[in-house]
Amino acid sequence: MKQGAMKDIFMIVIKLTVTCLVAGIIMGAAFLLTHDAKEHNEQVRDEKVMLSILGYDKANPAPKTLALNTIYRYIVTRGETQSIGYVLSTETGTQFVELDLEGNFLKAYPISQEIDKLRKESDRTGAVQALISDGEVRYADNFIIAVNDGKRIAYILDGKYPGFKASIRVKMALDKNLSMLGFEVLEHEEDPGLGAEIKQKWFRGQFEGKSFEQLKTADVVKTPIPDDYRNAITGKIKGEEAQNIRAKHVGDPIHALTGATISSRSVLNGNKAMVTKFAYRIDKLDKALQQQGIKTPF
Amino acid sequence: MERGCGGKPFLLAQKKRFSPTNTMSNTLTKGQLIARGVLSQNPIFKLALSMCPAVGMSTTVMNGLMLGIAVFFVQVFSSMTISLIKNFIHPRIRIPTYTLTIATWVTVIDLVLAAYLPAAYAEMGIFIKLIVAFAIITMRLETFACKESPSDSFFDAVGMGLGFMFGMVVIGFVRELLGAGTILAGTPIAIEVPIHPFLFFILPCAGFFVVGIMMAFFNWIEAKYNEGKTSNE
Repeated sequence: MKQGAMKDIFMIVIKLTVTCLVAGIIMGAAFLLTHDAKEHNEQVRDEKVMLSILGYDKANPAPKTLALNTIYRYIVTRGETQSIGYVLSTETGTQFVELDLEGNFLKAYPISQEIDKLRKESDRTGAVQALISDGEVRYADNFIIAVNDGKRIAYILDGKYPGFKASIRVKMALDKNLSMLGFEVLEHEEDPGLGAEIKQKWFRGQFEGKSFEQLKTADVVKTPIPDDYRNAITGKIKGEEAQNIRAKHVGDPIHALTGATISSRSVLNGNKAMVTKFAYRIDKLDKALQQQGIKTPF
Repeated sequence: MERGCGGKPFLLAQKKRFSPTNTMSNTLTKGQLIARGVLSQNPIFKLALSMCPAVGMSTTVMNGLMLGIAVFFVQVFSSMTISLIKNFIHPRIRIPTYTLTIATWVTVIDLVLAAYLPAAYAEMGIFIKLIVAFAIITMRLETFACKESPSDSFFDAVGMGLGFMFGMVVIGFVRELLGAGTILAGTPIAIEVPIHPFLFFILPCAGFFVVGIMMAFFNWIEAKYNEGKTSNE
């Protein structure tokens, strides 16, 4: 009897180990086989979202002269002091421009690789770390400056802010005066039927066209959205009439989603914080680049 | 005596083991297996399993349908796998094996959809990741797949998957209609119903009320049906 029990325990251990190994191998193989295609899909989706929030679609394709310049933001830590660095392309090649926290220019380092070859985070961070011998670098985020015919037309920002339960990840487009062009919710874990409605066009559409000042002072109200405004956003009213209705309501506060005031407020506050921080950063970066005479394609 | 996987008894050091072929007890035909999952043993209305995700996600027809499709595939693949390897599973570690099987299939389906069907993944991605801990799948593996042949398990899984999908869509229909005043919102065939939306139906607690009322309704139909059958005889 005792021997039988021992044998049984061995069998349990062996069988469970084998099961785990097989499951692990299957999952690992699936990951390896699908990894590249998945990454490619994500990139395609990213680009599609980007063009759609800039207002381009199949009927109205992006012009060939449109160029998207990505700028990667890094945080450099040297002992107690921190500074901010940007990987960007200039007319003389890729550079890493370092500014202190007040926005004063510290130093610009040339990077030998082209910026398109630095898309992978590990490659890029390695290249930046090689420049900073006396400190630690940490990747923060990136933003994109859309340029058409040598003129800036829009900024595209990636952001993440707290929602009702978990983070909400968004992609946002601002025009050159930092007015909202629109935003898209990429990932969220809000409650289905309640907070998850932040993806609805009529809710997101309320942000479109709001200037920097209007957004900063906007608040969330619980009154329902006026019918004409809602129909103008969702496209039920078309053309000039819709434009006029939207122009009339653009200064309105944000009408909250029914039963999801917290999610609505999170989106407003998150968007506000994103735009405010970005406005400060781009202002400092532009000033520093201008002072140093660094010529960029944007 | 109660039997474990492959018809093996649960007792640890039992000498006499049953060969699995002797213990297959399924006498239902393929059609009956499928019909049983959808009607007489519907996972939601009859077995009352996986209530938590069912109530949480069934706020609209689309959400219900997406979760239903995801569960359907995981159920079919997991049932087939367990049925094929039933003689290998030690009765003492059945539950971990089921969980591992389901987790493997969930991961594989998630990765494959993300890689090759990005449009479907954009709709279903969040639902697939939820599935690992669904009681209905584990329960079908335990009571059916680990005792029966792969082909019977396949049809049982199809029935249960369809039954779950049917339940989710019906609950989603009622909740979306009353809670948001729309049907299939966000799709090209969306219908707006001119009633004042009653937010209560979107909240999770209302899911239970809807499920309860539906259960009563289906039981009533079944009772009527059986009554009719006996009076005809």
